[in-house]
Amino acid sequence: MTKSLHAPRSLGWIAALMIGLALVTVLAFRVNALRSQVHKTDAAIIALQQETLYLETEFEARASQHQLKAWNDVEFGFVAPGAAQYLDSERQLAAFAKPAEPGAPAPVRVASADDDAAAAMAFPAMVSPLTGRPVEPVRASAEPADDAAPPRVGSALADRIGTVRHRANDTELAVKPKRPVHIAVAKTTAEPEPSARGQHSARTLLANTTTHARAERTDAPAKTAHKDRGPAR
Amino acid sequence: MTDISPTLGAPNLPAHPATTGRLHFADLRQRSVETARSRLIWVVIGFVFFALTAFARIGQLGFGAAALAHDDGAAMAPPRAEITDRNGVPLARAFPGYALRFNPEALGGSGSPLVKTPEEVARALVQIFPDLVYGVVLDKLKAGEATELRGRVLPEQANAVQALGEPALEFPIVPQRFYPQGSLAAHVIGYLEADKTGLHGKIGIEETLDARLLDKARRAEPVALSLDARAQGALEDELARGIADTHATGGGGIVLDADNGEIIALASLPSFDPNRPDLALNRLVFNRTSNQVYELGSTFKPFTIAAAIDAGVVTDLAVRYPATPFKIAGRTISDSHNLGASLNVPEALIHSSNIVTAQVADKLGGQKLRDTMIALGMNTRPPIEISARGKPLWPQGDWSRLTTMTVSYGHGLSVTPLHLATGYAALVNGGLWRPATLFKVDPAHVPEGRRVFQAATSARMRQLLRLIVVDGTGKRADAAGFRVGGKTGSAEIAGAHGGAYRKNALIATFAAAFPMDRPRYVVIVMLDEPQGTEATSGQRTAAYNAAPIVGRLVPRIGPMLGVAPDRHRDIDVSDLTPLVANGEGE
Repeated sequence: MTKSLHAPRSLGWIAALMIGLALVTVLAFRVNALRSQVHKTDAAIIALQQETLYLETEFEARASQHQLKAWNDVEFGFVAPGAAQYLDSERQLAAFAKPAEPGAPAPVRVASADDDAAAAMAFPAMVSPLTGRPVEPVRASAEPADDAAPPRVGSALADRIGTVRHRANDTELAVKPKRPVHIAVAKTTAEPEPSARGQHSARTLLANTTTHARAERTDAPAKTAHKDRGPAR
Repeated sequence: MTDISPTLGAPNLPAHPATTGRLHFADLRQRSVETARSRLIWVVIGFVFFALTAFARIGQLGFGAAALAHDDGAAMAPPRAEITDRNGVPLARAFPGYALRFNPEALGGSGSPLVKTPEEVARALVQIFPDLVYGVVLDKLKAGEATELRGRVLPEQANAVQALGEPALEFPIVPQRFYPQGSLAAHVIGYLEADKTGLHGKIGIEETLDARLLDKARRAEPVALSLDARAQGALEDELARGIADTHATGGGGIVLDADNGEIIALASLPSFDPNRPDLALNRLVFNRTSNQVYELGSTFKPFTIAAAIDAGVVTDLAVRYPATPFKIAGRTISDSHNLGASLNVPEALIHSSNIVTAQVADKLGGQKLRDTMIALGMNTRPPIEISARGKPLWPQGDWSRLTTMTVSYGHGLSVTPLHLATGYAALVNGGLWRPATLFKVDPAHVPEGRRVFQAATSARMRQLLRLIVVDGTGKRADAAGFRVGGKTGSAEIAGAHGGAYRKNALIATFAAAFPMDRPRYVVIVMLDEPQGTEATSGQRTAAYNAAPIVGRLVPRIGPMLGVAPDRHRDIDVSDLTPLVANGEGE
């Protein structure tokens, strides 16, 4: 009776032992399999590294200083840039800008500051050096009030530099700065505002003139003012 | 009790047998318990054993994996560390490549080791490798011994040899040293040569750092030199052009960082290919720039003038000295041509007058000039990390008046061009002499240096050197915008064994620095025995051959080294220009 009760229990232990043994064996096999896989991967890595080394070395050898010199002598003829090709500053770079030719479309000018900043930078009112009192600009008093012309006071500076006028059809649109423009020959693009007049033609104009954006920053406000004044008279 | 007995199935059993049966049961039970206990112990032992085995296995795997990783690390590290330039461009690298070996055992058996006749195979091999000698290959094939036929075989060549169908020709993969830039900076890098203990460095950095490059712990990390491969390429290119233009026997050049002594480029031409160490056993391996000593002539005059200004011997640059040849101790000191009745110091430098420099040196005195030269390291081997360091020919003992005078214009004292480079660095960098080095200098740990000249003297010398290029013999080195300053030197070579000077053999040197308003780099260019050719207007002097090399080199290397040309900037020499009447000289 006791034997018949104990037998299954020891059989259970033996079974547990067997299962444990089997698991350990499986684990060992798996570990070995993984390890050989790691070995294989390592070997592959080394092989690839050597291939990289080989290709890199071949590239270095084919692009050696002597080889480059030989190519340059026969094919390219590059010479070291001269002193005249180096520029110190953006100002020096801007000096190379070509003045606008007669009949050229008005360049697209893109403001670098937002309206508030431009308004804040407005010119101070002109003060008489004798009396110390503010004086009216001569132009404003001489010209009759014209509702077609934009106001010339300082607060409108942002409007003026943010305005593109097309000569052909006299359309005008406000342009919104995409990013500040510091170096003037950098290509700049401008997005017309939905509310602007003559959208379609302005877009065509923009497409034509984006590459011609140039840097006459110093005279920009003056020229814009002049151009704006033309048709208004 | 009695009513229990029938349930046991023995109603009429006497008391005794009942007692015996109970004892029997008790005994059986005890034995069963013992058996169970022993089995339990075995099971526990079994479990413990397997648990330990499993742990041991896990531990073994853990340590084994570590060992494995270590092995892989060693496998990936090159057998010899790489050498790179300052920007990481490899100049020398360990590179597993094919070799060509003849193994007579490959076919087995007692017959001929080759399928075809040795003559046919040798002929085919010479066709694939034109530099092999037919007779030598044939002898090796006929000898029937395992030998190396060629140390390095390209893959295409290996394919061509494979196509011969000779199993006895094998391609073992062997670690080799490869110099991707070919002969570029060969004298600095060096090459490897096989001896009994393996491949070891000969000359250059390969020799100096042999132990470091082979060190197992550190060979995975490359050694960076201070050289710039691009500047080195430009220097060698322009130097080679200058040598070709002037039919010189050779030349040398150095580009040195004036502030910390880093050697940016160092060339000695003609050069050799370190990829062919078997061909390197010739005189091309000799480094003219750091190992050959020359009397460098007029390039020494600025040292003399600087020493005189520093010592307060020359205080007024407007003072004029007679420029007529004079005799001293039986020797006449004269100039290459008549420079007029008198010259001041700036004119003496611009026209390169031996007579005036000798007078200034005489006023300065031998001891002071000697001390300056010692402070500039002219009496010891040049400071550089390669073994090719030439020993100067230094006038022994106290210097006589004649010695002082001849040394003042660069004769009677032979040094290497590298000496001159470190000297000029001290001359222009504010007066601090620092040793030249082939390794990058940490900006935080620049060697302090040895003060040779006062800063004011150095500033004055910068003006004078610039004047020489603007108005004097160095005009052809005046690269636009780079504010080059420097001094020419054309010295006759002394005959063998201290014989008389050879009138037709010159060493033409141009020692320069740029940009002169804040000198960053010293450039030395030297030509050995240049001839007067059409390219140099028939002249053999440095103004016509060495100076133009600097004039072409500086615009090429300047922008790479961070010096942009600027035509609107220059060192102020307005206080010296009124003292100078323009003219040529040597």
